[in-house]
Amino acid sequence: MSTTQSPYHFLIRRVHSILGLVPIGFFLTFHLILNLTALGGAKQYDLIISTMQSFSGIFIIELVVIFIPIAVHAIYGTWVVYTGQVNILSYKYARNWFYIIQRISGLYTFVFVIIHVYLLRFGEANFSALSQFLSQPLGLLFYVLGVLFSIFHFTNGLWAFAITWGLTIGPHSQKVWLYTLGVVFVLLSAIGMSDIFAFLK
Amino acid sequence: MAEQKTIRLKIRRQDGPNKPFHWEEFEIAYREKSNVISCLMEIQKNPVTASGKKTTPVVWECNCLEEVCGACTMNINGQGKQACSALVDQLDQPIVLEPLTKFPLVRDLMVDRQIMFDHLKTVHAWIPIDGTYNLGSGPRMPEVKRQWAYELSKCMTCGCCMEACPQVNSRSKFIGPSAISQVRLFNTHPTGEMNKHERLAALLDEGGIADCGNSQNCVRACPKEIPLTTSLADLNRETNKFALDQWLRK
Repeated sequence: MSTTQSPYHFLIRRVHSILGLVPIGFFLTFHLILNLTALGGAKQYDLIISTMQSFSGIFIIELVVIFIPIAVHAIYGTWVVYTGQVNILSYKYARNWFYIIQRISGLYTFVFVIIHVYLLRFGEANFSALSQFLSQPLGLLFYVLGVLFSIFHFTNGLWAFAITWGLTIGPHSQKVWLYTLGVVFVLLSAIGMSDIFAFLK
Repeated sequence: MAEQKTIRLKIRRQDGPNKPFHWEEFEIAYREKSNVISCLMEIQKNPVTASGKKTTPVVWECNCLEEVCGACTMNINGQGKQACSALVDQLDQPIVLEPLTKFPLVRDLMVDRQIMFDHLKTVHAWIPIDGTYNLGSGPRMPEVKRQWAYELSKCMTCGCCMEACPQVNSRSKFIGPSAISQVRLFNTHPTGEMNKHERLAALLDEGGIADCGNSQNCVRACPKEIPLTTSLADLNRETNKFALDQWLRK
């Protein structure tokens, strides 16, 4: 039996896991930090964006480092969500809640990224375009949730990442890593909220 | 305690796999130190519902009556438990009894847990020692290993972890935490270790270890307190090493 098995299923799950950190998690962190430059005002922010867009080959880099990994992670992730089940009413444990929120935040982030890229990468990519979008209450809510859910999905994903790769094996190390990631979540969320605040007039 | 004169139960009844289900309520006289099995036996003696309607006796399974065989596992007040060790005094009433949802229903509270035993075959959860001649005694097991491996050997294939696991359902092929934990048990045994590769290879397949969703309900649901999530994480490390090694040797 074992000789005829193909390990592709295992491979794709491991690729799905690693893509969440490299490059997507690193890109998310970089993206959140870079956007802090918006706190310096519209002029400075627009200058940085236009400089980055003028790099030759930026589209290829975006495609290979950002677009394709996110698409693979999101499409396969949607399949993973489909193969799961909600049983929180019978098993009301914190980790079971995290299991569900991980899936909800993943699906929300998928939709959020599509709209976010459509509006700002293929649309008008400047300070005033986002500023205008965020001036509507629903637009602001959409972004606040998008930023918080994507950061949660990343940090909680890192918790599972450490188990998937056999780093945190026992309950104690898993707990210590959980609290560490709690701090990372708060820090990244503070950065993310500052980013949004920068675009509010 | 003295005021509690009766025990109320609400049981999900279903005559067969493709038959419609309905609920029936029962009220029986309170008896000290009752468990769910003794309540079911009481109903069997006189199968009349709380409203006085005559009905068929409730079908359930049980064997050991001391929480080591797993046969009487059912959903008690929403969670998978053994009916023999579910004490009435510790349960909210009415006590709601339902069959396990992750296995094919036979009748009433009886399900067919065959799939769990099939999964044990899939992962080679045994130690092959049969030969055409006497193989002699095997290597000794270190005491430190034996101590934690003994905990894993307490698994009675009851299905509580399968019931609690959100990754075990009709849309997924996940074999569940118990069979995976048995791989760790048999790979730890010095003789079992000789066939380690067969068990790890089985875990790489669809429904294997990669399908775990880390909800960690299993470790909370296990009546034998087996460190299932530790087994899963440990085997993640082992399967990663094994898969990489296999690929590099191709």
